[in-house]
Amino acid sequence: MSGPNARYGAFSLRGAQLAAKEINATGGIDGRKIEIFSADSQGTPVEGVSATKRLIAQDKVDFVIGDVSSSVTLAMQPVVEDAGVLLINAASSNPKITYAAGVGGFKWSFRNYPTDENRALIVAQYAAEKRGFTKFAVLSVDSDYGRSAIEFTKKYLPRFKGQILTEDYYKEGEVDFRSVLAKIRDSGAQAIIMYGLADTTPIVARQMTEVGLAGKIPLIGNGEFNTEKTIKSAPKAMEGAVEAAAWLPAWDSPKSKAFVTKFNAEYREAPNNHAYVHWETVNLLGKAVEAAKSIDRAQVRDALAKIKYDSAVGEVTFDDHNQAKLPMILLQIEDGKPVVKGAYSADIDYPR
Amino acid sequence: MLFQISEQIVNGIVTGAVYALVAVGMTMIFGVLRAINFAHGEYYMVGTFGAWVAIEYFDLPYPIAIVAGVIATAFVALVVGQFVMQRMVGAPAEAGVLATLGIALILQNTVILVFGGGYKFFEGGYIEPVTIFGISLAEQRLLIIAVAVLVFFGLELLVTHSRMGKAMRAVSQNVDCCAVVGIDVRKVVVRTFILGAALAGLSGVLTAPVNVSVYGGMGELITFKTLPIIIMGGLGNVRGTFFAAMILGIAESLVATYVGLQFRDTVGFATLMLVLMWRPHGLFSSQARY
Repeated sequence: MSGPNARYGAFSLRGAQLAAKEINATGGIDGRKIEIFSADSQGTPVEGVSATKRLIAQDKVDFVIGDVSSSVTLAMQPVVEDAGVLLINAASSNPKITYAAGVGGFKWSFRNYPTDENRALIVAQYAAEKRGFTKFAVLSVDSDYGRSAIEFTKKYLPRFKGQILTEDYYKEGEVDFRSVLAKIRDSGAQAIIMYGLADTTPIVARQMTEVGLAGKIPLIGNGEFNTEKTIKSAPKAMEGAVEAAAWLPAWDSPKSKAFVTKFNAEYREAPNNHAYVHWETVNLLGKAVEAAKSIDRAQVRDALAKIKYDSAVGEVTFDDHNQAKLPMILLQIEDGKPVVKGAYSADIDYPR
Repeated sequence: MLFQISEQIVNGIVTGAVYALVAVGMTMIFGVLRAINFAHGEYYMVGTFGAWVAIEYFDLPYPIAIVAGVIATAFVALVVGQFVMQRMVGAPAEAGVLATLGIALILQNTVILVFGGGYKFFEGGYIEPVTIFGISLAEQRLLIIAVAVLVFFGLELLVTHSRMGKAMRAVSQNVDCCAVVGIDVRKVVVRTFILGAALAGLSGVLTAPVNVSVYGGMGELITFKTLPIIIMGGLGNVRGTFFAAMILGIAESLVATYVGLQFRDTVGFATLMLVLMWRPHGLFSSQARY
């Protein structure tokens, strides 16, 4: 595994290999053993396409799982479509991947991972329903990620009678947020929606303390609010912050705990989110093969579309865009520690 | 409304004080060398890292870390001044641009090589907020304003009353004549350079507690903020730089509040263009150096 996402790729492969090893140890699926072939996209669409073609033509794989990067997955979709090979994505979050799948066009690509849109919706829903917020200020990073997360949030806020009072985007490297935070303080907003960079959150939190926002208006969204360093930078400002994650090692379910223990024992390191989703996806695929009672690709695909799978976070089903409907874990910072508030899922509206 | 605007102006003055501390060093270096120092933001970064190392590795208290940061910057500036900057005396302008851009890259990459490219957390400083007339500011920000005023007052005394300051003024006016009357131009250049860089390092250490994150590339933005300030202030004009920094700080603060945070970084060059249309030599004369 190489390229900018190499570390994530390595975790993903280890997660998948662990699942294959476990399944094979119990006799495989209907007596068939799973074999994992790995290929390296280097995080670029060009390499991803040729790696996918090699897997299909040379290694004769039946199913492809990948890629970590959204732009690579988007490039892989037409390749598997032509070959009639099932692609299950387990890590890309760009909504376009499943906009274009299922009834949207591509019949062979599925995704077993929440999208940026899921995240925005779930966070907005939690903020409105569980915390009772209706008035929001926006302070997000000025990038495709930050801007589109806000677009999705705006799409769903009317569902919860929420409104956005102020909207600001910061450039990477921005260090002075006080003017904007003072404006937010005077605007009457009840929470700040932030989709940002991990390194900016501590700066914002400290300056929230300065302008008197700490403990009054929480941050909600995403930006590594739950790391020790961020909370330590301004504990009062981070109190009550809310963010959503696909999975966390701290998630308290027997299946999840067992996975963490097994992964630790196998690789002598703690698993991350990417290891978990790939481990779960191999298991999911195994269940689909079992349900199809065949490894015929079309039958497995149809079985996957109808599956009801119990993941470590909750039940997984697929919608007509081949997008998994699966719960995300919500975290809230309480008394200086991240506390899991439960797993939530929500239906997204596809564009027509 | 009135309160809101006055709070934003105070915010702008605090930002302006930081810009002023960095920019004054750059403008002084321009005065004696006739070269824009594109590595100026990197001295700001070196100062911050010096203090971060003192706190993180040696567990020193913040006031001592300030001294450590300034000394680290002065040391780096001494090396660069001896080996590179003093050769720039009388050299064509493009030599200065290339040399300082190169130094910027070397300093950035050295820091990344030694400490890694990730963001570091700066502990220390006085971050408790104090409220004055209803406006809430971190104690650290008051410290920054106080230091900026002291530094400008000190520089005023230095250039008008000390031998070194007089030599600096002389070099900034005419290098050849200084050489004729026996002033050691290279020594003046290196000393001015060290002083200017150390001031950039000082402002880095002072702002680190409120900016929290420390990383190798943090100086770039500072260099690009400083360029319009020193041009607006009249290249080489110390007092002009102070006022230009304040104008930019306040303008940025108002734009961030009433137009949008995303437009903040465009303010500097936009203001610069407006000012230059009206006064092609900057707000203040570039003849009246120091």
